[in-house]
Amino acid sequence: MTTHGGLEPVFCTVVPPHVLDRLARSDDPALSGPARRTLVRDSELRSRRRVTSEFRLAAAPAAKAPSDQPLRTVYDAGHGTDLPGTKVRGEGEDPGQDATVNRAYAGLGATFEHFLKAYGRHSIDGDGLPLDATVHYDQDYNNAFWNGEQMVFGDGDGEIFVDFTSSIDVIGHELTHGVTQYTANLTYYGQPGALNESMSDVFGALIKQYTLSQTAAEADWLIGAELLAPSVTGQALRSMKAPGTAYDDDVLGKDPQPATMDDYVRTGRDNGGVHINSGIPNHAFYLAATALGGFAWEKAGQIWYDVLTGGELTEKAFFTDFAKLTVKAARERFGDGGEEFQAVEKAWERVGVRIL
Amino acid sequence: MRIHVRRTGGFAGIERAAEVDTSGRPDAHEWHALAEKAVAAGRGTPPVGVPDGFSYRLTVDGTTVYCSDPRLTEEQRKLISKVLREGA
Ligand SMILES: [Zn+2]
Repeated sequence: MTTHGGLEPVFCTVVPPHVLDRLARSDDPALSGPARRTLVRDSELRSRRRVTSEFRLAAAPAAKAPSDQPLRTVYDAGHGTDLPGTKVRGEGEDPGQDATVNRAYAGLGATFEHFLKAYGRHSIDGDGLPLDATVHYDQDYNNAFWNGEQMVFGDGDGEIFVDFTSSIDVIGHELTHGVTQYTANLTYYGQPGALNESMSDVFGALIKQYTLSQTAAEADWLIGAELLAPSVTGQALRSMKAPGTAYDDDVLGKDPQPATMDDYVRTGRDNGGVHINSGIPNHAFYLAATALGGFAWEKAGQIWYDVLTGGELTEKAFFTDFAKLTVKAARERFGDGGEEFQAVEKAWERVGVRIL
Repeated sequence: MRIHVRRTGGFAGIERAAEVDTSGRPDAHEWHALAEKAVAAGRGTPPVGVPDGFSYRLTVDGTTVYCSDPRLTEEQRKLISKVLREGA
């Protein structure tokens, strides 16, 4: 019998559950076999971990605490599509000639620092996971994505978009997809998918604000402001302050984002409109953050983070489920009589999400 | 042969679509070979993609299949970029 032993260590350490699920259903036994075995092993590990955490106080010695330093690696795909590509910069290495590589490296660092300093989170899994990014993916590639294990950035075609590492909030956005995957794991379709997208925009924006030391009043609340090529008529790709107004261009069309439930878009495209309806929770966050003032990551960001990582948000959550949990989290963290929960409640009301 | 490609999703969430009609084209042969392989490797329903990954719908003479980044075959990748570049 042929074994695929070489694949197994990779599956058991790196591949996230949803990718494994997909692989396990693969027609190719070389993929499905190890993936299925890993899923079984993972569920065994998970139950063991639960037992371990219950006895954590009694257990000694404690597991090694994750480092306060990131572990970054940037790869170059050389305009091809093989991932991760050639390693071009590891943690602690000096900057090279390639500005794209340096921006990706710095963006990973800024994201790591924000999650650590603001929320005490060690990397995307909360346990020091290495941060990997690939730049120069494909040719004229107008996109960036999170593949379940790492970030991938295209160079843009220069006509509509420039290099996708140009906006730090885009780097933060992609890494936050990793955080969501390791926490609430919101399903990437429909309303839970739009919440997943909104988490990435919210923390992407906060990472930019944190880096620039901007208050909620000072921030531009734009996503991808540095991404549009000079010929495009628009300010950015999305606006949390005024969804639907980021661009209006001959080639690009008009920003389709709604700001309130009245304009919610029902569609099967774009995974059920995940990049469209995210405008609604994005705007609720903006309203809560600007009502509370100061640095947005300290209050509104903390409340959103508490919900994302608190364990009560389900994978299939709708806007109303999320909204309800933010009000609860605001009460729990800042007190019952506080302005925080009132600001949060009011924000959801203004975007038309009812808290039942 | 009519080859239609629609791309949705992506970080920007901006849709793109284009079509190539191969009739009368000198390179029709290559288009057909590429399109057949790309469709054969496609799926009947849209696969759940990765966050911000592009999703594609390929329609070749009335047959529709789906695929998404980054798990495209070489032929799918080549066909998609050719149609989006050269098609109308
Ligand atoms: Zn995203």
